[in-house]
Amino acid sequence: MAADLAKKRPRGGMLKRNAHAQSGPRREFLAFLLAGETYAAPVKEVREIVKPPPLTPVPRAPEATMGIVSVRGQLVTVIDLRRRLRLTESQASRRTRILLVEAPWGELLGLYVDEVQQVYRLSDAEVEPAASALGGDVASYIAGIARPLQPSVEGGGSAHPPVIVLLDLQAILAS
Amino acid sequence: MVDAGDRARDEFFSEAQEIVEGLGRDLLALDEAVRANRVDPDLINDIFRAVHTLKGLAGLFGATRMATLSHELEEVLDNLRLGRIDVSPVVLDMLFRSIELYGRILQVEKDGSELPIPEVDELLRELHRGFGQREQQPLAAEYDLDPGLLAVLTEYEEHRLRTNIQSGLILYRIRVHFQLATIDQALDELKATAKPFGEIITYLPTGTGADADSIELDILMASRSSVDELRRALAETGAEVEEIPRRPGGDVSGGLAAGAAGGGFDSGGLSSRPAMSASGPVSPHPRSSDPGALAAPPDSGAGGRKKRGELGSIRSVAQTVRVDINKLDRLMNTVGELALVRSSLGAIVERLRATPAEREMSLELHRLQRTFERHLAAIQQGILEVRMVPLGQVFDKLARVVRQISRDADKIVNLVITGAETEVDKLIVEELSDPLMHMMRNAIDHGIETRAEREAVGKPAVGTIALNAFQKGNHVVIEIEDDGRGIDATRLLDVALRRGLITQEEARTTSYREALTLIFLPGVSTKSDVSEISGRGVGMDVVKTNIGRLGGVIDVTSEVGIGTKMTVTLPITLAIISALIVRVADRLFAIPLANVQEAVGLDDHAVKRIDGREMITLRNQTLQLCYLTRLFGLDEEEELSSRIAGLLGGTRSLGGVRGGITGSRKLDRSSLGLSPGSKRKYIVVTAVGTKRLGLVVSALIGQQDVVIKTFGPSLASVRGFAGATELGDQRIALVIDAPALIFEVLSGGDRARPEPRGVHG
Repeated sequence: MAADLAKKRPRGGMLKRNAHAQSGPRREFLAFLLAGETYAAPVKEVREIVKPPPLTPVPRAPEATMGIVSVRGQLVTVIDLRRRLRLTESQASRRTRILLVEAPWGELLGLYVDEVQQVYRLSDAEVEPAASALGGDVASYIAGIARPLQPSVEGGGSAHPPVIVLLDLQAILAS
Repeated sequence: MVDAGDRARDEFFSEAQEIVEGLGRDLLALDEAVRANRVDPDLINDIFRAVHTLKGLAGLFGATRMATLSHELEEVLDNLRLGRIDVSPVVLDMLFRSIELYGRILQVEKDGSELPIPEVDELLRELHRGFGQREQQPLAAEYDLDPGLLAVLTEYEEHRLRTNIQSGLILYRIRVHFQLATIDQALDELKATAKPFGEIITYLPTGTGADADSIELDILMASRSSVDELRRALAETGAEVEEIPRRPGGDVSGGLAAGAAGGGFDSGGLSSRPAMSASGPVSPHPRSSDPGALAAPPDSGAGGRKKRGELGSIRSVAQTVRVDINKLDRLMNTVGELALVRSSLGAIVERLRATPAEREMSLELHRLQRTFERHLAAIQQGILEVRMVPLGQVFDKLARVVRQISRDADKIVNLVITGAETEVDKLIVEELSDPLMHMMRNAIDHGIETRAEREAVGKPAVGTIALNAFQKGNHVVIEIEDDGRGIDATRLLDVALRRGLITQEEARTTSYREALTLIFLPGVSTKSDVSEISGRGVGMDVVKTNIGRLGGVIDVTSEVGIGTKMTVTLPITLAIISALIVRVADRLFAIPLANVQEAVGLDDHAVKRIDGREMITLRNQTLQLCYLTRLFGLDEEEELSSRIAGLLGGTRSLGGVRGGITGSRKLDRSSLGLSPGSKRKYIVVTAVGTKRLGLVVSALIGQQDVVIKTFGPSLASVRGFAGATELGDQRIALVIDAPALIFEVLSGGDRARPEPRGVHG
């Protein structure tokens, strides 16, 4: 529906851009909710999505570390993305998930998200490189802003054309 | 699946590593022998053979650098054993450098990197330049040895003969009769008997006195002993010993002359002994009285030797298997999982027992479970034993370092090692080498005084460093003790004060022993500040951290003018431990039983506050307390919510948990009294060495064998925990690093650091 709305727009430029977008290479992003906003990260960086196992907090750990969980016998440190991005934290719900990602140094880490939404296939044209749009120290974690022009591969779509904040996971993990 | 090629490569690396380590040991022995001026030629031969084997291995695996280095080294070593060059300090240094470089090359090759190592090229150039070969003297100027004999000596034998003559040893001819059936054994026995008295240079069949079943040999031997001593020593072998007269132009020993003229064997033929015994007394080589025909090519002897050496090295590794430590880790993890299964089984057995109808079945199951438990314990013990290696592995490396550093610092140091056979987990040995090396360096650089200083205070000029290892219960203790100048604690306090690490008040009240522990603070490690005092602080904070990571603790005692002693106490194994599970507020923690002395109830009224610290008197000794709720920033007033009740309900009952498979020390059952509702707290008395600390916990849950899993790098900076362990149902308990906590709390090691961050969530 989002894409339909875009197509109905009178300006040809927009249509042309869309046509170009369809022909260009596309990258897949996994979208998830953090404090009510949609964020996304490259699908290929997310190894697995798991329901949160019992979380054990670690006293004296760095601030954004929620604790450790056991995923099939392996200890995984869980990082609260909301805390890293200075967002408000809400109670865990049945939709809460942990994304397993590999850190640059090879360690498997868990990223705590409020809800996993869907996968978007985005062309370069649909992505606005970040930096320019945002300030502050959180800016370095943001790879870009995406405005998908068509329904995602998983269908669905939402009533409003979503604005998705694309995260640079490697930058977040490295900090 | 591991690729066959990869496996072969791994095999190559571990074998090469082993050879290089052996080389290091031999070199140290050689170094010692040179200093004592009694070089055993066999030692040089061993080193030569090892390098030769390395060369072959490296060639096989295309490790060019290693092959080239080995090739050049081989050349030098060949010259050494043939006496073309002397075992000078320069040559020794070069050999030691080669060993270090072998290590570097192996590391680089293992990483698959093409990184150039400039030091290797430099060494190769030096090696290539050579060491100035010495002019060979014409042999036997003093002894009129038969030219026929000389002709059959290999170059090596000739060199040994010359060396012995130069050292003024007496030459003997030993004639001995051997039965062909037992010649190999008998000859070896004779060699062993003769060895303490001197060196056997060569042996040749006399060609006479032999019959179909026996053979007569003439043995040329050099010795310091008199002819009588030698005769007495060899009496049992039935050998005739004669001194070869030492006058030019004198009568040549008839036997040798006869042997050379009548039955010339080149030693190449002799070294293939099986052939000889098979063919009986008849020489495998044509007999001839023409000495010219006896001249064997000088290389053939050496060739035979090399082959024998290679065969020997293959045989020596046949009885052992090299195993990747990760494979053992995986096995250990599986055993851990089995231990969980065992506990669950135990619970089922208990339930069945309560059902009268299933009594018989429950008994049977109970018996089965006991058998299972026994075998499981055996497997666990077996894996732990396989992982154990002697500390000697790292001590050998230390000995090399000591040699190097003492040379650089121009101090003579005598390193006395005891307990090298003490075994600890392989991983611990690996991780130990850097910290120990650091401590050793400090002991020489800053502990041992210069020769002049030592003599001025009436100490022996040669400093002594004792490196001791021994087992003490569940721990291994390693001590490095020097007889140097000791650490001046007052000046250490000054430095710490100047750097703002302690306050005036603290400086005044710190005891001498406490002050010594200041060397473990990061700020005190700046060499320029303290070098004059003793400089012991160089990187000691890093050493402490590394030892702590292994679950160990380091302590220092020192007396000015007498010396310093560093004591490292380590657990023997890392993998599975028996732990006391405790509750702190609403969380479960595991405390390794190895660190637990006892657990007692806490009487709030007995707690005294002294200098801001809480103490109680336990068994007539003052015990400092540490409230874990406070330390970990947990809510002390946490009531037993339904969540906790659930938590506790899910924990295996005391009965099921006790009697862990490693059968560790039993705690008084009543002291474990599990009463989640009670507000009474407990003290878990932890101890490492002589230091004790009482950890105050909310409740004791039980004893359990746990598999420690270490934190990932993301949590590596978190102090106070050795890792975490799964209690089943995906629930995790953090494992308390008792030695670290003891150190942190008792020595106030955290004073200089910012307050630990409180916990969240």
